[in-house]
Parts: sequence; structure tokens; C-alpha cells
Amino acid sequence: MREFFERISKIDRRIIYLIVLVGVTIPLLTRKGFEFKPLPEVKNAYNFIENLPEGSNVLISIDYDAASMPELQPLLEVMLRHLFRNNLKVIMMGHWPLGLPLGQIALEKIAKEMDKKYGYDYVFLGYRPGIAAVMLNMGKEIRMVFDVDYKGVPLDSLPMMREVHNYDDIALLIGFEAGSVGDFWVQFAQARFGQKIILTSTAVVTPDLYPYYQAGQIVGLIGGLRGAADYEILVKRKGFAYTGMTAQTVIHVIIIALILLGNIGYFALRRMR
Amino acid sequence: MKKEVPLIITFISGFLLIVALFIPHEPFGSLQERFNDWYIIVSGFTLILGVDSLLLYHWRKIKTKDKDAPYSIILIITFITVLLWGIYSGVKHGNPFAPASTFLRYFYTYMFVPLQATMFALLAFFIASAAYRAFRARGLNATLLLVSAGLVMLGRVPKGEIVVPFFIAITLILIAIIFVLEAVARVSLYERLLYFALALISLIAIIPLSILLREYLPALADWIMNVPQLGAKRGLFIGIWLGAIAMAIRIILGIERTYLK
Repeated sequence: MREFFERISKIDRRIIYLIVLVGVTIPLLTRKGFEFKPLPEVKNAYNFIENLPEGSNVLISIDYDAASMPELQPLLEVMLRHLFRNNLKVIMMGHWPLGLPLGQIALEKIAKEMDKKYGYDYVFLGYRPGIAAVMLNMGKEIRMVFDVDYKGVPLDSLPMMREVHNYDDIALLIGFEAGSVGDFWVQFAQARFGQKIILTSTAVVTPDLYPYYQAGQIVGLIGGLRGAADYEILVKRKGFAYTGMTAQTVIHVIIIALILLGNIGYFALRRMR
Repeated sequence: MKKEVPLIITFISGFLLIVALFIPHEPFGSLQERFNDWYIIVSGFTLILGVDSLLLYHWRKIKTKDKDAPYSIILIITFITVLLWGIYSGVKHGNPFAPASTFLRYFYTYMFVPLQATMFALLAFFIASAAYRAFRARGLNATLLLVSAGLVMLGRVPKGEIVVPFFIAITLILIAIIFVLEAVARVSLYERLLYFALALISLIAIIPLSILLREYLPALADWIMNVPQLGAKRGLFIGIWLGAIAMAIRIILGIERTYLK
């Protein structure tokens, strides 16, 4: 009996890795999704975008990189589709230089799919160093930070940017966060300039952003793959995030089962001693 | 003078920035913008500093024939290749990340992104293994953490409420077994009856708890996230930022000088 409990409290890590691999791979390959209700914070974000007047400017900040791509990239694509479908204008920039091309790739892809024109419907500004300083200066005049776009074209040459000077001309800011830049957006763009913000983040970062949502400092919060899947349900275009949630369900169940197993072994051995 | 000059610069910059926040009129009004411009420029130079220290570190390893020198050689070769490739694509297309650039298509999309994503994806395996090994209900705090983590993990995924009764049943049966074993080990009749009663309560609780959690698990997970989690987070944040303010004052006043070393 003792041997059995010792075995279940010391499962070889390679077996655990194999269980995790199978648990994640099969749901992703079968692409089967479960039905579920979107979270209220995601619904609020969706409703806010739905209620924006046509032609409003939306600033998107890419503050993640390839490490967080599985969680945030599907959401970025589905949000871009939603924004373009509602005829909103997109201005993209970012504070993570290594992740910015991911935003650019998604923007070019969705803009082409939705037949949107560069300079008229969307603009890609790129990256400037100095997170807080960039945010503060943008509150006064965007040209103080970005006088040209990523191709070096002056902002005034781009028709949709001619009337955009600071946060007053931006109806909504959407931050895609894998770190602490979201906190800076709230502290500088929202607290100082009253900018309306929706934050989307990896599941690890999401608990840090809940205080802002509960305090009404951000109008919506879309956290992790679950948030992305909720958003896909709301825009009625179920994609990778939605099917990915099945893999997440399976892996959560596996982890809890493993924890339970570990605890059974731990308590049994403790009693035997 | 090596210490005094940086201390004076820090004091003047810090003091002026605080004044500029509270007095938005000239000559202080435009100070913040000017400092922000300088900050952006200095931030740009820190990238160069980072590259310099990285290359120097690995160059020294190669020179001293360290056992990890082969990795340093790979790093320097990769660094130069990526740099030259980026410059070439930048010159050819006006921007290394232009849609037609080979740098974006081949290096970024097919090498950098999969490598970085793979590194992060490995976390799933390590987390599962670490949770299994370390997450033990050793005391009240650990048990509370374990139970709330389990409820949130299942409450935030689809169909979690279907699985939860199964875990509840196993956990309560185990608790009942522990109580029965405790009862058998006791001499006093009163203690024996008490432990048997507790075991019975654990078994009876399976059905109502399962029904309740099946119905209210997502709401319970939301409550954990919105009330206890948020309360703790707020406390942490307040503590962190009070500490940050204290540290900023110490730096401005020159009490904290470790950044000079």
C-alpha cells in the first residue's frame, strides 16, 4: 500500500509532460468547442465598441510579443474585424518593439480582408522608446512623439491623421497587454487625460487589471484566451480562441486531478509515518 | 565630484518634475514636455548600452575560453547576421518590417516568433509538473489557496461545472476516510463519535455541495476574482506604490545612492 501511495505522490515528470501534451494536442486538433456565456467585463467592452459612432478613431497599443501570441493574437484579429466592420478608424502603435510586427501583420491581413485603405481607414505608427513619456506627450500632441508613421510618411500627409492631435481626438484606446504597460495607460492616459480604455491581457496579467475595471477606470477588460473566446462569441465569429478553450478546460482538469493525486499520496504517507 | 554631479542632476530633475506637475504655468509648464523629450532620447540610448554590455559579456567569455564559449560564439554570429539582414531589408524596402521584406517574412515570422512562442509554451509542462509537486494542503493557508485556485480554474473554463462534482466527491470521500482513521485511533468514546459524525457529514455534504457548485461555480469563481482577490491586490498595490514614492523621495534627496554603483 505504501508503495502505491509513494508512486502516486512521485509520478515521473516525463509522464506528466506526456499527459499535458496529449491533453492539449487532441482538443486543438479536433477543434471542438463548448458553449459558454461571455463574461460581463467582455460584454461591456463589446458594447462600448458597438456604440462608438462611425468614423471614430481607435488607438491600439501592441504591448506583447510572440510569447503571448496564442492568447492575444486571435483577439487582436477578431477585434480588428469588429472595428473595421463598424467603420471605425484604427491607429496602431506599441511599446514592445519585438511584438509590434505581430500587430502590423494582423492589421495588414484584416485590412486587406475588409477592403480598408492605409492612411484613410488605418495607420501604423510603430514604436518610440520611453513608455510614460510617450503617453504623456501624446496627450498634448501626437506629433511630438510620432511626427511620421512607420514608413517615414509625415502624419499630416495621411488624411485620417490630419485632425488627430491628442487623446481628445481618440474615442477609445485598446491596450493588448502582456506586462505592466496597461498600468501606465491607466495612470497616464486615463487618469490625466480621461481617455476611455479597454484593456485586453494575458491570463497571468488579468488579475492585476481587475482593480481598474472595478473602479471604472477602464470600460472593459478582456482577459486571456477565455476573454478572446468570449469576444469571438459576441462578434459571432468563432475561431482559434473559442476552440482553444476546450484545450484549456482539459488542461485545467488535468492539473487539478494531478494536484488531487499528489495530495492523496501526501496525506496517506503522512498518516503511515 | 564623480558622485556629487549625478546627485545634483537627480535632485534638480526630480524636484523640477514635481514642481511642473503642480504649477502648470511658465516657466515650469513646458518643463515636463522637455524632460519627456530628453527621457525618450535617453531611453533610445539605453538600447545601445544594452547591446554593448551583452556583446562585451560574451566576447569576454570567448576570450577567456569559458566552457560556455561556443554558445557565446553562436550568439555573436546570430547577432551580426540579424543586424546585417535587418539593415539590408531596411535599405531595400525602407523598413525592415515592411510587408515585402525577407527579414519580416523569413527571420521574424519563421524563426523569431516560433522560437519565442516555444519557450513560453514550455511553461504549460513546467506549471503542470510544479503544481503537482508543490501544491500540497500543508496548512490552512495552503488549503484555502488550493481550494480557491481549483474553483477559479474550473469556474473560468467552459463545462468546468460538470467536472467539479467529481472532484468534490473524491475530496470529500478522502476527508471522510481521514476522519474515520482518526476516529479509530482515538480512545475516548466522545472523540470517536465526534470523528465518525464528521466523516458522516463529509459524505452527506457531497450531494448538496455538488448540486450547488454545478449551479453556481462560474458565479463563485467571479466572486473570488472580484472580492478576495481584488482586496488582496489592492492592498498589495497600495503597499507597492507607497514603497515606490518613498524610494523616489530617497533617490531625489540623495539618501538612496545604489544606482550610482
